[in-house]
Amino acid sequence: MAKVLEGPGMGLMKKWGIHVPHYVVVTSADELSKLGQVNEWMKQTKLVAKAHEALGSRFKLGLVKVGLDLSGAVAATKEMIGRQVGSITVSQVIVSEMISHKEEYYCAVKSTREGSEILVANCGGIEVESNWDRVKRLCLDVGQQPTPEGLEKLAKEAGFTGGLTKKMAGFAGKMFTCFDNEDAQYLEVNPVVTRESDGELVALDAVTLLDGDAKFRHPDWNFQFAAEFGRAYSKDEMEVMAVDSKIKGSVKFIEIPGGDTAMLPAGGGASVYYSDAVVARGGKLANYAEYSGDPPDWAVEALTEKVCSLPGIKNIIVGGAIANFTDVKKTFGGIINGFRKAKGDGKLKGVKIWVRRGGPREKEGLDAMRALKDEGFDINVFDRNTPLTDIVDKALQK
Amino acid sequence: MSILANKDTRVVIQGGAAGVNAARRMAEFCYLIKRPLNVEAFVYPPDAGKSNEVPYGSGLIAIPVYKTIAEATKHHPTINTSLVYIGADRAMKGGMEALDDPHIKVVSMITEGVPEKDAKLLGAHARKLGKVFNGPSSIGIISAGACRLGVIGGAFDNLVLSKLYREGSFGVITKSGGLSNEIIWICSQFADGITTAIGIGGDAYPGTDYVSYLEMFENDPQTKAVVIVGEMGGDLEERAAEWYAAKKRRVKLIGVVSGFCQESLPKGMKFGHAGAKEGMKGEGSARSKSDALKKSGALVPATFGALGPAIKETYQELLKSGQVKEPVEPAVLPRLPKSVEEAMKADEVMVAPLIRTTISDDRGDEPCYDGYPASELINKGYEIPHVIGLLWDKRLISKQEAEIIKRIMMLSADHGPCVSGAYATILAACAGIGLSQAVAAGLIMIGPRFGGAVTDAGRWFKYAVDNKMNVDEFLAYMKKNVGPVPGIGHRVKSLRNPDKRVKELVGYVKSLHIKTPCLDFALQVEQVTAAKKDNLILNVDGTMAAVLVDLGFPVDSLNGFFILSRTIGLIGHWVDQKRQDSRLIRLFDYLVNYAAPKRREVPPLK
Repeated sequence: MAKVLEGPGMGLMKKWGIHVPHYVVVTSADELSKLGQVNEWMKQTKLVAKAHEALGSRFKLGLVKVGLDLSGAVAATKEMIGRQVGSITVSQVIVSEMISHKEEYYCAVKSTREGSEILVANCGGIEVESNWDRVKRLCLDVGQQPTPEGLEKLAKEAGFTGGLTKKMAGFAGKMFTCFDNEDAQYLEVNPVVTRESDGELVALDAVTLLDGDAKFRHPDWNFQFAAEFGRAYSKDEMEVMAVDSKIKGSVKFIEIPGGDTAMLPAGGGASVYYSDAVVARGGKLANYAEYSGDPPDWAVEALTEKVCSLPGIKNIIVGGAIANFTDVKKTFGGIINGFRKAKGDGKLKGVKIWVRRGGPREKEGLDAMRALKDEGFDINVFDRNTPLTDIVDKALQK
Repeated sequence: MSILANKDTRVVIQGGAAGVNAARRMAEFCYLIKRPLNVEAFVYPPDAGKSNEVPYGSGLIAIPVYKTIAEATKHHPTINTSLVYIGADRAMKGGMEALDDPHIKVVSMITEGVPEKDAKLLGAHARKLGKVFNGPSSIGIISAGACRLGVIGGAFDNLVLSKLYREGSFGVITKSGGLSNEIIWICSQFADGITTAIGIGGDAYPGTDYVSYLEMFENDPQTKAVVIVGEMGGDLEERAAEWYAAKKRRVKLIGVVSGFCQESLPKGMKFGHAGAKEGMKGEGSARSKSDALKKSGALVPATFGALGPAIKETYQELLKSGQVKEPVEPAVLPRLPKSVEEAMKADEVMVAPLIRTTISDDRGDEPCYDGYPASELINKGYEIPHVIGLLWDKRLISKQEAEIIKRIMMLSADHGPCVSGAYATILAACAGIGLSQAVAAGLIMIGPRFGGAVTDAGRWFKYAVDNKMNVDEFLAYMKKNVGPVPGIGHRVKSLRNPDKRVKELVGYVKSLHIKTPCLDFALQVEQVTAAKKDNLILNVDGTMAAVLVDLGFPVDSLNGFFILSRTIGLIGHWVDQKRQDSRLIRLFDYLVNYAAPKRREVPPLK
């Protein structure tokens, strides 16, 4: 799942014929002033300026300003750019045409197991969130297209009447076309409004989640996906991501500040069970990590170095199930090299290491881990006969 | 009995290297259960028409590669299952091709990162055709004692440890590939093992869900209980719980779900498989799934660690009620033949080596020359002549000797474009021939008339010195037994036009005041021969030979000094022609003396 910011999201909607306000995304107030000189609409209409970042509750943070003229928008942009919110620095501002409207509606398309569903409501904004029962759905199987009649029926069910019924049906149809052709997983416009000037339905906001796995067939996805974490990625996280993008198999790393139990388990499935075990034992996770798919040893080594660099850790959980094809000796070789480097750099003082693993060349791998004892590591090594998460119990025993 | 994969399963694998690797793992399993290999064919257009070799026991089986599924099933009509190992961008096309083939009933996709829409289309298409589409991101399917599809089950030792050679009573369905093995192992340790284990893949919308497989297990009398290993995200576990609660089921259901840690993580922070994402209103959380399973009557251990005891408890109940009997283990199991390397490591075989070397070894992290690591030689100031000394004569030569060798090489590195070697290399370079072949063409010229007299010169000068001959005796002996003295005589140079290279080398060696019996003898020979004929001087080959013999180098290595030095020049000539992009050359007619008979009529063939 890959989140896309409003600007590129609206760009995709516009591509599929959905009316969106005029908008620009700028990185400085100066850029906006220059754009103001060449774009008539910026001088003729009131403007909205919003921080163009993956931030929730922007309104409350003062990162949305409405009813501005161009100089007001320039001033707002100047004020927003560079503002620090948590770990995110505002670096872009989206300035769009303010559409005067009376009524607000809601429309979304969502991926389901069978295919997708189109959601429509004849209320919008905050109102729809407190009146979720007014949202009506049209379920579609994968590969199935909605019919104009079906869409009109949906609009009618949602309470649209008169000429608006057809308009809303048309809007929802375009939303579906965009969703279907852009490999979206979720599209939401809230609110949809009637533009007073021409009576057309316009999308005032766009929430767009795309299927990152489909990027190969969308050469025009030239935008960056936004961090899904509600925060920016750290330097170490980005470095591991860079390694991950280069290798066969995978390495993953996410920091959780304040924890003292570091995780270095194998497998997308087992890693979560290990994390669960730490939480169930009352421990505090210092990170999430995972390596799988028989990654090269140097990639596991790079991951290990990041894990060892986490501040204030007391235990490292090198867990893993019985691998199918990940070479235990080779991947453990990477971990061992990482441990040695960390120790050489003065890290791992007082840190206990807990190992449990099985799989191809498990004996060689576990023996190599055991041998680290002779190098002065505080390491406890267990084989397949110790149940998966028992090392967490042992590590966190008071 | 088992589901999906059984003794009649015949497989086509779509894909390249990863698919071949899976076939190897599958062959190990077939060997363990003493059944023929279940892989019939590969489909991989780049290799179509070739075959892939798959080890089976101590032999190799060649499995043909086809361009299309249709070709594969035409030649192997028993094929009923396809494993898809092709890249995410082509996976849907490949999966559809397999589903559309009338022979194929089950398609299992291993490919990761398949777009969600593609996975849904494949799943829907399979349902429409009444077939099974498993995956994407599936580690595979294994039925104990019957059939393995993919690498699920791991290495051979693990197959044995997890008792996969015979049926148990537990069905397994997991999203995670790694955990499938773990559960199989747990079932074999805490109970009697598995019937079938299925990896359905960790994507958001697996082609076939828990419920479909639960229904199959319910209809498989051998399966008495099913273990599902769930994850937060989606609603597959909830649907499984619904299925279980809907009516009295024959199979017992045991389930665990991961993702409880999510509750105590910062908001918005999610990880795990692609499908591991919570719904907007908390549906799909580990807790909601776990609660749903519990409510349905399934056995839900509190943690993954408690899963083993829960499986044991279920097994004990099944034993008590007589639904299962303690399994009988086979007395002897086939052992996977070891490779020669593995067997040698285990001291089980002795192999007579094919060749023997006494000079170098690069099995470690760097080459060792006669035992000395190359980097240490470099760091301690040794140079190329020392490496020559080690590899040609197995000794560390002195600084002085190294200097002599260096000078010999510098003097013999090249002798212009006209000599046989350089001319041959240039000719080849102009014909567009590559470096190694063109240099080899030049080296081929080295022989009795060009550059190849060093060894022979050294041999005979040494013979004379060793046998304490005087010059007259030596010349008489050579005249009688050998012919012209190698190392004596030059086509161009003479007493009046001496070879400066010889003067230089002799001068230097003499200035060192070392013992040079061969060189001294060669110079004496020159005095006699040159007096007879002006150009019968000691040439550069003879000088090098005498000096190198005096340094103690074996006679048979002596030509090597010329070959090595001249290779420098030959490479230079090739690069030089390449740089100039020289055109193809041929001899001009005026450079040929056409001494062949004049044109004449061909007589009738008799």
